[in-house]
Amino acid sequence: SQGIIERDETTMEKEIAGLHRVDFEFSDIFYFCRKGFEAIVEDEVTQRFSSEELVSWNLLTRTNVNFHYVSLWLTVVWGVGVVVRYCFLLPLRFTLAAIGITSMIVGTTVVGQLPNSSVKSYLSELVHLTCSRILVRALSGTIHYHNKENKPQKGGICVANHTSPIDAIILTNDGCYAMVGQVHGGLMGVIQRATVKACPHVWFERSEVKDRHLVTKRLREHVADKSKLPILIFPEGTCINNTSVMMFKKGSFEIGGTIYPVAIKYDPQFGDAFWNSSKYNIVSYLLRIMTSWAIVCDVWYMPPMVRKEGEDAVQFANRVRSAIAQQGGLTELPWDGGLKRAKVKDTFREEQQKNYSKMLVRNGSVG
Amino acid sequence: APGAARLPLSALAHPTPVTADQIEHLHRRFKQLSNDKPTIRKEHFDSIPDLEFNPIRCKIVQAFFDRRNLRQEEDGLADEINFEDFLTIMSYFRPIEPNMDEEQLQRFRTDKIKFLFHMYDADHDGIITLQEYRNVVEQLLSGNPHLEKGAARSIADGAMLEAAQTCVGPMGPNQVYEGITFDDFLKIWRGIDIETKMHVRFLNMEPIAHCC
Repeated sequence: SQGIIERDETTMEKEIAGLHRVDFEFSDIFYFCRKGFEAIVEDEVTQRFSSEELVSWNLLTRTNVNFHYVSLWLTVVWGVGVVVRYCFLLPLRFTLAAIGITSMIVGTTVVGQLPNSSVKSYLSELVHLTCSRILVRALSGTIHYHNKENKPQKGGICVANHTSPIDAIILTNDGCYAMVGQVHGGLMGVIQRATVKACPHVWFERSEVKDRHLVTKRLREHVADKSKLPILIFPEGTCINNTSVMMFKKGSFEIGGTIYPVAIKYDPQFGDAFWNSSKYNIVSYLLRIMTSWAIVCDVWYMPPMVRKEGEDAVQFANRVRSAIAQQGGLTELPWDGGLKRAKVKDTFREEQQKNYSKMLVRNGSVG
Repeated sequence: APGAARLPLSALAHPTPVTADQIEHLHRRFKQLSNDKPTIRKEHFDSIPDLEFNPIRCKIVQAFFDRRNLRQEEDGLADEINFEDFLTIMSYFRPIEPNMDEEQLQRFRTDKIKFLFHMYDADHDGIITLQEYRNVVEQLLSGNPHLEKGAARSIADGAMLEAAQTCVGPMGPNQVYEGITFDDFLKIWRGIDIETKMHVRFLNMEPIAHCC
């Protein structure tokens, strides 16, 4: 989304270059003052963590902070919309979701009883696909898959940008993946325990997640086995609002194997899929999704990528990220998704100060 | 039911000539920073990643709470500010309007220079002493291992010397330069167009289309 202030793009160098000595010492404070104010009025990063603002109103109050009372007719239309969404669509969707989840648990438990064989794999895939499809219907999801010839193959790693918890369902609607994640309690835990019997998903205990080597080792073993389903990973680590792609954590790219990038772009016209986890919990999020008009999205399967000679994990991660951002029409930001909760690393700050001091010294102000 | 965005009425009547749209955007930003509370405290500025870059971050944040900048009677620092105060501080960074007359331009300029002066004059006594100036330069160069220990000091000393020469003229061996007063500060800035360097310009907002 477009910014609201005109950013002055002059670098520090240009600004300080033409100044006399006295002005120089005093005017460097201008530069930082102005930059500071620009950051306070608007900063690139925090913008990405709030939902995208729509230019026109789609009759969902929540996607337009700025709406004014326009006319009685519009209010009536909106009111009818509310009734339809909450009294008709919501119960329908809720029922479907319940059916989908129950079938998933029951189906995978039953299939899990069978001994390992090709029949079991086939049935497991069938159960997973069917239940995914039911769940997508429960969200009134309309998904367009592009370039299906690039669909992730067995023994590979599927990497996608992350906007909401339903990303996984969007992808499993069209193919079978081995999911990777932490073991949860509650309903999610029940689903996890049931599905892992039928299909080798990779669920980690909380304590194991902290041990990076253990995680990498397990994933490597999975990938090495060419008969196993492709792993699904979301390297950003957190939900971003679907207008940009943040830094990919390099861990996923150290495992080796073939990476199949996938770009997911939601159409905000019908419903906002972004989950702002600091603002809404999962239940209110699901409620919002189920009372939207629909979830419409595009999924692009992209040609496989492998790490090149002499490329390290970070460079590889950035290369994949660029490809995904380009395909999905998202902007790339060099920021860490973890910034939603944490502060900037000291190294960035030192870098800026180093540059400034170098110029000060060069200009002969010292001595 | 649909309703208008909620803004404090006093903010709309504020003497800063920004448009209603811009005030709305600033208000949204204010709410974002304050977590939907009516006032902001210093800690709320910690949530801005871009600001972390800035070596004079502390001074900038402090400027928002400086009672002299807030045009309040008392002295010192406020604990928290509301949206009106936020707009008051923002107004120091207004760009020049094309239809300003000589008197307005002069006042405009003086305001901006005053803002800077307050940033240097940490103890609010109306004079920038050598030590206060050294502090600012040190902050600007803080944390850089490449610069020797004495560099910040010598830059500050050199600048003060030049300022003294500009404002007081040649001094005798026993004369002591107390520090830069606000009038001296104005003298230093004579001829330099601070108005074009110290502003933040808003882009034109597109009108929001409605479907009917």
